[in-house]
Amino acid sequence: MQEPELHDLSDDADYAASLQQGSASTMITRSDSGRSTSSSVPEGAEIVYSKDNVTIHPSQYASERISGRLKLIKQGSSLFMTWIPLKGQSTNARLSERDRNLYTIRAVSFTDVRSIRRRTPTFGWQSLEDANVFLVNDFQNPLQKTLSSLELPVYIASGPSASVSDGGESSSYELQERIGGSIHDEIHRPSQNPGRQKHKSHDPARDLTIHVLEKFSLVTKFARDTSSQLFRESNSNGYGAIERKSSSQTPPDVPHKPSTDAEIAPEPVPSDPLEFNKMTLVWGKPRQPPLGSEEWATFLDSEGRVMDAKAFKTRIFYGGVEHTIRREVWPFLLGYHAYDSTYAEREYLKSTKKSEYETVRQQWQSISTEQAKRFTKFRERKGLIDKDVVRTDRALPFYDGDDNPNVNILRDILLTYSFYNFDLGYCQGMSDLLSPILFVMEDESESFWCFVALMERLGPNFNRDQNGMHSQLFALSKWMKLVELLDSPLHNYFKQNDCLNYFFCFRWVLIQFKREFEYKKTMRLWEVLWTHYLSEHLHLYVCVAILKRYRNKIIGEHMDFDTLLKFTNELSGHIDLDAILRDAEALCICAGENGAARIPPGTPPSLPIESENALLYAQDDEVL
Amino acid sequence: MMGPLITKMSYAYLFKYIIIGDTGVGKSCLLLQFTDKRFQPVHDLTIGVEFGARMITIDNKPIKLQIWDTAGQESFRSITRSYYRGAAGALLVYDITRFWKLKECCGPDQYWEVSDTEPVLLFLIVHASLSERLCLQSSPPPSLKSWASLVTSSDVISQRETFNHLASWLEDARQHANANMTIMLIGNKCDLAHRRAVSTEEGEQFAKEHGLIFMEASAKTAQNVEEAFIKTAATIYKKIQDGVFDVSNESYGIKVGYGGIPGPSGGRDGGSAQAGGCCN
Repeated sequence: MQEPELHDLSDDADYAASLQQGSASTMITRSDSGRSTSSSVPEGAEIVYSKDNVTIHPSQYASERISGRLKLIKQGSSLFMTWIPLKGQSTNARLSERDRNLYTIRAVSFTDVRSIRRRTPTFGWQSLEDANVFLVNDFQNPLQKTLSSLELPVYIASGPSASVSDGGESSSYELQERIGGSIHDEIHRPSQNPGRQKHKSHDPARDLTIHVLEKFSLVTKFARDTSSQLFRESNSNGYGAIERKSSSQTPPDVPHKPSTDAEIAPEPVPSDPLEFNKMTLVWGKPRQPPLGSEEWATFLDSEGRVMDAKAFKTRIFYGGVEHTIRREVWPFLLGYHAYDSTYAEREYLKSTKKSEYETVRQQWQSISTEQAKRFTKFRERKGLIDKDVVRTDRALPFYDGDDNPNVNILRDILLTYSFYNFDLGYCQGMSDLLSPILFVMEDESESFWCFVALMERLGPNFNRDQNGMHSQLFALSKWMKLVELLDSPLHNYFKQNDCLNYFFCFRWVLIQFKREFEYKKTMRLWEVLWTHYLSEHLHLYVCVAILKRYRNKIIGEHMDFDTLLKFTNELSGHIDLDAILRDAEALCICAGENGAARIPPGTPPSLPIESENALLYAQDDEVL
Repeated sequence: MMGPLITKMSYAYLFKYIIIGDTGVGKSCLLLQFTDKRFQPVHDLTIGVEFGARMITIDNKPIKLQIWDTAGQESFRSITRSYYRGAAGALLVYDITRFWKLKECCGPDQYWEVSDTEPVLLFLIVHASLSERLCLQSSPPPSLKSWASLVTSSDVISQRETFNHLASWLEDARQHANANMTIMLIGNKCDLAHRRAVSTEEGEQFAKEHGLIFMEASAKTAQNVEEAFIKTAATIYKKIQDGVFDVSNESYGIKVGYGGIPGPSGGRDGGSAQAGGCCN
């Protein structure tokens, strides 16, 4: 008997990548997929994914494979999947009309997909050590519950008739790869519901599903690509959650439909199709329009306090703010203004802070020639700052031209900061961080204090370690344990290819993606990051989201460190901010506390712990 | 499938270069002049690393240079070190002049426009005795911010530092790059000869002592820029001819392509054959 050919996609360029990763995938759909199978692709739909050479295997023989085009189509909040056969495998195989009709898959709602499984193709159906399952479409329960429902390795291991548990609460998003064996064993045992596999009678709906499944015993890249989007909706979204709970959260009560020799999730479907359609996959929440001045006013009480800081931050997280009100909003987000401060208090703060700023500025402005001669550190810092401010965003009208006063203000603020925080001083990258702040605040003293607040969060990034080894405090390899959590294959790839120092993320993190997006988008991204909604380390999830998005390319092209560095550099200007933010949001939700646990305490932009901070800066004795 | 690959490999060799040296010496400008043949005085400072590439011809063979332009600041050294890996050539750059962007540090005054063409005058301001300074004090227009801000300007006081730091750069390169890396020492900004702080002889002497190739160049006027990149490549090429490198070992920063030299036997499977690899 020849080797199982179920996933033979060797004509497929992506197959190499799939092999590299040691896996291929199958998909499992809900029992009544016929319900939402429509005759055509919905009007006004958006194709979110399209891939040719996705092959189905009507039989185990490679010669009978049929190659076709897989598409994911998004309409409203629903996602549909189609597959159209294009050609058979044998040389002159024109598909018969009959075959074409038989195999074409028309717009299966993605809500009917219960899970996506990835497995090692060379081992075929029986070997499942490596199977990865992505459970989707159940959004109402915490991630832990999802994890606890991952009994698939056991069920699948039992053979072709294995079923997917219906206890799957959400996308597992490869997390199961990270679960220690003991936990894993423990949690899937309770789910081995003995009743699950015993129904094997005929059911038309079931047959239809099987039909779809037969066509879909394939799909490798698909699973990898889409898995990053298969996240559970956040609980707060709420729609359908209650109804869903009653129907899907209690596996033992589920009236199991018959199972045959395809992997099928015996999952009843809520009676209301409309409600069901809303329960689609979510790419993080859709981005909203930015907060405008009218809406901003509604967040303030009569004396100017922000009444509900959490709601305010949430709002900004999902949409940012309009440029006209940034000057008012940013000081809050940066922590310079307290949310419960009044207009009057802020006015007062502004004036006292202004004189405080001027005092510090005066400290360096009053240094005489003779002093400067004996003050190497000052001269060096000033020299560096002078060199850098004229190389910071000069293409912007705000900073362009000779003798632009804003460039001088940039210089004065940075030099003043180097006296305000003499231990940290000045380091390249700071001018990039200050530039948008000055652009928004248009006031020297206010910009300074906002910058101070930002550096309270990011300062350690610019600090060198105590050994004088000049390594940045942020240990990329440490915090990038997130990748290990959220994308294990990618992590393994980096490990194998000596890329675990994550230097290719250096610029992203140091200046918070400022060079990766155009100026306006950078400001949008920053205000989203500054909300610290979901996580104060959202920027790390943004890193992971970007890497995940290009992971097939990275792995498929066998990028080495050099190539990877060049590749990430060249992503600049090509990253879709909204899409990445949605991915990052979803990743953050998925990772939950596990993600937070992977980020060492004190990782910027955590607010520094005072004592530690003093220690960190203390040894910085050399040039800067 | 094979088409693009062949195009991609249409060089005889690919050399990886790295450009190093203190911040502000003109590394990025040299690269841009070489790859785009233009001088862009206003550009963003380099964070991490930037890349450039250009094809050149040596001995009638097309050679692709892939150039890594690194950030110069001391605090980024630990990151920069990781870029040395697998570099065939390095351009070590310093600034021959003593003043840097004088106008910006002295305020919006015509007076300072003059300073560019009157280096002697400035030199006097910095190093003159108190009486001379007082004497000159009458000439700056009243809009000049303050006398103090001028004389404490580090730009004027500091000089030759980028040259003085060469030894430490070299040490880094020796330690983190492969031993056969070809290093070209470049004294940049030679168009500003009137502001020269490091003589050509000093540059030559340093290069000689440390076994480097040396050139003075100007990213602004393009003088010697082509020459510097190409001469480095020619040196590497000669090392290949002399058998110094095992070109199949990519840690030397050299990749073998198919253009201009006989490819590995049987082009049919060229797409999957590793560069330089022979399937016997």
